[in-house]
Amino acid sequence: MKSIQRRLSLGLVSVLLIVGLVLAQISLWLFEIGLQRYLESGLRNESESLLVALVRGPDGLELDEHRLSPGYLRPYSGHYFRVDFAQGHWRSRSLWDVELPYPGQPGLHADLALEKTNQSLLLLHTDYRKFGQTISITVAQDYTPVRDSFALVQRIGLGLGLMALVLILVLQRVTVRRALRPLDRAREQIFQLQQGQRSQLDDRVPVELEPLVAQINHLLAHTEDSLKRSRNALGNLGHALKTPLAVLMSLAEGDKLTEHPHVRATLRDQLQHIQQRLERELNRARLSGDALPGARFDCTAEVPGLLDTLRMIHGEHLDLRCEMAEGLSLPWDREDILELLGNVMDNACKWADSLVILAITPAGEGYCLMIDDDGPGIPSQHRDEVLGRGNRLDEQVTGHGLGLGIVKDIVEAWGGQIQLLDSPMGGLQVRIDLPERHSPQLSASEGVPPLT
Amino acid sequence: MRLLLVEDHVPLADELISTLGRQGYAIDWLADGRDAIHQGTTEPYDLIVLDLGLPGIPGLEVLQKWRASGLSTPVLILTARASWAERIEGLKAGADDYLTKPFHPEELQLRLQSLLRRVRGLANQPKLEASGLHLDEGRQCVSRDDEEIQLTSAEFRLLRYFMLHPGQILSKSHLAEHLYDGENERDSNVIEVHVNHLRRKLGRAVVETRRGQGYRFAGTGE
Repeated sequence: MKSIQRRLSLGLVSVLLIVGLVLAQISLWLFEIGLQRYLESGLRNESESLLVALVRGPDGLELDEHRLSPGYLRPYSGHYFRVDFAQGHWRSRSLWDVELPYPGQPGLHADLALEKTNQSLLLLHTDYRKFGQTISITVAQDYTPVRDSFALVQRIGLGLGLMALVLILVLQRVTVRRALRPLDRAREQIFQLQQGQRSQLDDRVPVELEPLVAQINHLLAHTEDSLKRSRNALGNLGHALKTPLAVLMSLAEGDKLTEHPHVRATLRDQLQHIQQRLERELNRARLSGDALPGARFDCTAEVPGLLDTLRMIHGEHLDLRCEMAEGLSLPWDREDILELLGNVMDNACKWADSLVILAITPAGEGYCLMIDDDGPGIPSQHRDEVLGRGNRLDEQVTGHGLGLGIVKDIVEAWGGQIQLLDSPMGGLQVRIDLPERHSPQLSASEGVPPLT
Repeated sequence: MRLLLVEDHVPLADELISTLGRQGYAIDWLADGRDAIHQGTTEPYDLIVLDLGLPGIPGLEVLQKWRASGLSTPVLILTARASWAERIEGLKAGADDYLTKPFHPEELQLRLQSLLRRVRGLANQPKLEASGLHLDEGRQCVSRDDEEIQLTSAEFRLLRYFMLHPGQILSKSHLAEHLYDGENERDSNVIEVHVNHLRRKLGRAVVETRRGQGYRFAGTGE
C-alpha cells in the first residue's frame, strides 16, 4: 500500500502543474493578442499618415518627404513602409537593401522575418484609393523587443510558478504530516504493542481513528480475558482430574494391593501414563502463544522469584545464578516464559551437582537463553531421543523427559529452536533461540504442532 | 509430629490420613479454609499440608493470613495447580515447599521429612541423626553402632520428636500436644510409659528426666 503522504503530494503536484501551465499560457496568449491590437492601431495611424503624405506632383504621385517620421530614414530602424501603386512603388529608406516581405492579403500579419536581420516584423497591409487609383500601403514594425520581453516575462513567470509550487508542496507536507500524526502515533503504538512495551493503545485519538483504536483495545482486552478464562477453566479441570488421580495413586501404593502385585503394577503404569499425558496436554493448552501482542516478561522482576522457588524445591545446596542485562524484558507472555524457564531449570537442578547458570542475552533479531548445569549431562546419541517427537522415548528417559517435552512445545509455538549441547561446566547445556516477534498475522499460522 | 491437613477432597484426605498416620504423624483434618485460619494459629502444629483450591477462602489467602499473624510452622502446598507462575505465587505467599497433584505417596513422605529437618536446621540426609543414633524414618527403626533396634509406632513418634529437638527440655504436656491429634485423649501417663520403653531399648541415659520440668534427649554418645 502506498503511503497517504506520497499519494497526496503526487495528486497535488500534478493538478497544480497542469492548471498552472494552462493558465499561464492562456494569459500570455491573451495578453499578446491585446498588445498586437494596440500596436495595430499605431500601425494604422502610420499607414494613414503615409497616405496623407502622398501628394499629386508634376510627375504624378509624390511622397512628401517632410511628413515622414525620422524612423523611416535610419537604416534598419525597425520602422518600415512600402507603397505600391500602378506606376511603381516606394520603399522607406530604412529598408536599405532588403525587401519587405509581401503578405498578399490585407490586414495585420505577425511573425514575418526581415531578411538579413534577425528582426521579426508586425506588418499591416492596407489598400486605399486616392486620386483615382489603388494604392496599397504596407507598414511594418520590428516586433523583436516586445517578443524578447514576453520571453523574459514567461521565464520570470515560470520561475515564480516553480517557487510557488515548491512552497505549496512544503506547506502541504507539513499540513499532511500534522494531520496524519495521530496515525503515525497509532502505528508506533502498535509496534510497541508487538514489542510488548504496552498492552493497550492510547485512546486519545481524532474522531476518525476512534472506532479503530477502540476496536483494537476491545480485541486486546477480549483476548486477554478469554485467555484468563480458559486458563482458569484448565486449572479447574486439572484440579478436578488430578485430585482423584492422587487418590488412585495413593491407593495403588497402599497395603491393600500387596497381595496382587500385577494389579498394582498395571495400575501404577496406567496412572503414570494418564498423569504424563494430562500434564503435557494441559500445559500445551495453557500456552498463550502469540495471541496477546502486549505480553512481556520482565526478567529483572521475575527471575529472582523463580530462582527462589527452585531453591526451595531443590534445596539450598544448589548455587543458582542468572546472567542477564539489567532491565531486560522478553516480549512473550509471563506465564509461558515462567513455564519454559521453570521446566528447563527444574530439569537442570535435578541433575546438577552444585551449580546451575541461566543466561539471557539479546542475540541479533531475537533472544538466546542458555541453561548450564554441572551434572552428568546426556550423551550426544541420546539427546535426540530426549527432544524427539516420539514421546514414548521421551517418557522413558526419566527426569530429562517430560519437562523438556513441554519446553519443546513452547519453543516451537514461538518459532524458536532448542538444542542440547555440552556445557563448559561439564554437564548439559540447553540452548534456546527465540526469534523476535513479528507481526501477529505472520506467526499466527504457526500454532502448536499436533501431537503425533 | 502434629500435622494439620487442609484438603477439601474427602477421598484424598482419607487416603492421606491413613498413609501419614502410618508414618507416625498425628493428623488433624480440616476441609474449610476459614476453619484452617483459626485452627492453624491456635494449635501447636509442627507441619501443615495445605490444598490451594479450598471452599470458603482460597488456600493462598489462608497462607497469607497465617504468615501475617506470625505463624512460622512449615507449610507444604499440595495442589493441582502445576504452573510455575502459581508455584512462585505460592512461595511468595510464604510456603516452604510445593508438591503438585497427582503425587507419589512416597514423595510426599520424603518432602515432609526433609521439610521438618530443614526447619530444625539439620542437613539434608536420608536418615535422621542425633547424638549417635540414626533413625530410619521409612522403616521406623533406629540404629546405634551398626545395631538395629525395632520400634513400635508410638516409640518411633516419640523418638523422632526427641531427635528433632536434641538437647531441649520438653515437658510432658508439650510432648502430648505434639504427638497426639486433637481428638485423642491426652494422658501424660502414656508419655511416661513410652519414655520407659525407649529407655529399656536404648539405655537409661537416652532420655534424662528433669524433675518438674520434663524430659531432655541426651542420646548415647556424649
